[in-house]
Amino acid sequence: MFIVEAVLRETRLNLRGKHSSIMVTLLMVSFSFVVFDTFLVVTWNLESLLREEQEAVGIEVFLDNGLSEEDGRQLGDVLTGMEGIRSVYYVSHAEAEAVFRAEFPDQGEMLDILSERFLLPASLQIGLHPDYRDAESVERLALTIMGMEGVDDVIYGEEYLPGLTSTVRALGRLVLFAGLILVVSICLVVSSTIRLAVTRRALTVEIMSIVGAPGWFLRMPFLLEGIGLGLAGSAGGILLAAVVSAILSPTVPHTFMPASWVLGVLALGAAVGCAGSWMGLVSGIPRPRS
Amino acid sequence: MLIALRNVSRSYGDWPALENISLEIEPGEFVVVSGPSGAGKTTLLRLVWMGDLPSRGTVEVAGFRSDRMHASDFPALRRNLGIVFQDFRLLEERSVYDNVALPLQVTGTSPRAVRKRVFSLLADMGLSHRRASRPHELSGGEQQRVAIARAMVAHPVILLADEPTGNLDPGVSAHVVDLLLDINRGGTTVVMATHDPRQIPPGKARFCFLDRGRLSAPGEWPGMDMEP
Repeated sequence: MFIVEAVLRETRLNLRGKHSSIMVTLLMVSFSFVVFDTFLVVTWNLESLLREEQEAVGIEVFLDNGLSEEDGRQLGDVLTGMEGIRSVYYVSHAEAEAVFRAEFPDQGEMLDILSERFLLPASLQIGLHPDYRDAESVERLALTIMGMEGVDDVIYGEEYLPGLTSTVRALGRLVLFAGLILVVSICLVVSSTIRLAVTRRALTVEIMSIVGAPGWFLRMPFLLEGIGLGLAGSAGGILLAAVVSAILSPTVPHTFMPASWVLGVLALGAAVGCAGSWMGLVSGIPRPRS
Repeated sequence: MLIALRNVSRSYGDWPALENISLEIEPGEFVVVSGPSGAGKTTLLRLVWMGDLPSRGTVEVAGFRSDRMHASDFPALRRNLGIVFQDFRLLEERSVYDNVALPLQVTGTSPRAVRKRVFSLLADMGLSHRRASRPHELSGGEQQRVAIARAMVAHPVILLADEPTGNLDPGVSAHVVDLLLDINRGGTTVVMATHDPRQIPPGKARFCFLDRGRLSAPGEWPGMDMEP
């Protein structure tokens, strides 16, 4: 208990009188995190969009005009038993016409002109299990259905879904890459700050070592300083990113990242600060030479 | 045997600071290691507190052997030692009280016990009125007494003093030497490095002479004529 108080006192002494170097480090860490947070916000919004699209995704199976309603419903029963399909709803010719007239009231006359011989195709509206809503699963299922007897055409959002999925994946990789660069650069910034701090307090560290302070006691104030710098820097980065996000929000509608991601960024800041100060201490704390 | 150096050599690059030194010190002894500048006195003391490790041979201090030291052994060894330097090495950003209290604070001693011990020691050293002062506000003699108080605060079994009077005028030096003799009379083993052994009255200490990294027999050092 008393030793914890002593560690905290040494940490306070470490920070005393070096406001400018702390500010410079905090600004550098914060700006690095702003870049990272921006990637995260873009990723979060694209992922949200993808999720929304995937929730709405389904397969529309247009049936041959020669297929009777009974055969169409039987095909629906077959599809219901297939893996990945949650629901199948049969849309008859009449219902399809009613839906068309409801959705496109201005073009209802077109159906009148085409006369009774033209029938809008009957179809099966297929709902999917959440696990089967990704582009690959939907395409695989659609191709299987396309090969079935009585099926005229299959529509499943093939034009935009794969593109959106690959964009989100590419962005995910970019975030990971940016994160790695961020981790390395912040580690270097924090480690040089800590190395400077150790140099500045070389006599204190030496005397504490000589009077029998354990190794962890020598390192802990600097580790706490590094963790504090990482945490405060990441918080500053989040704050700046939130301000930029709020300013851009009216022109580019989007949402800021969720609380869980914010906590993750703070934890990353603390971890990177700790790693950076450890790097700084490896060469900073003197050891007996042989 | 409290301190034993066995065939110890220490080199820095090609320069041999100490060569084949063997020295044994019993508990309660007052040993003066003397010799000219560059003779290896400071190196010898550094090996005793294991700030450096020998290039060859072994050093054994209070049961700790230099060839069997783990990282956690160094703090444990140093809690048995008090060390005083010629340049005092007091921490300028701390008061006299905090400088003296440091060895107790870093080992988690309760603030009450720290206060009691530090106040008592400062009183013994005649420094009670200076406890709130910063080191730069003190005279050289006062600074060295603070350094000795810091070295003694954790009741070490060995006190190492590296030229403790090197920066002091003769009157103050005599007072510091008296202080070290008092500490020795209290049972603490004292090893003092000095270029001027005449400060220690004959018969009060055992004298060792270092010259260019080698131990010489008493009387072999030019200009010295002292009985061990």
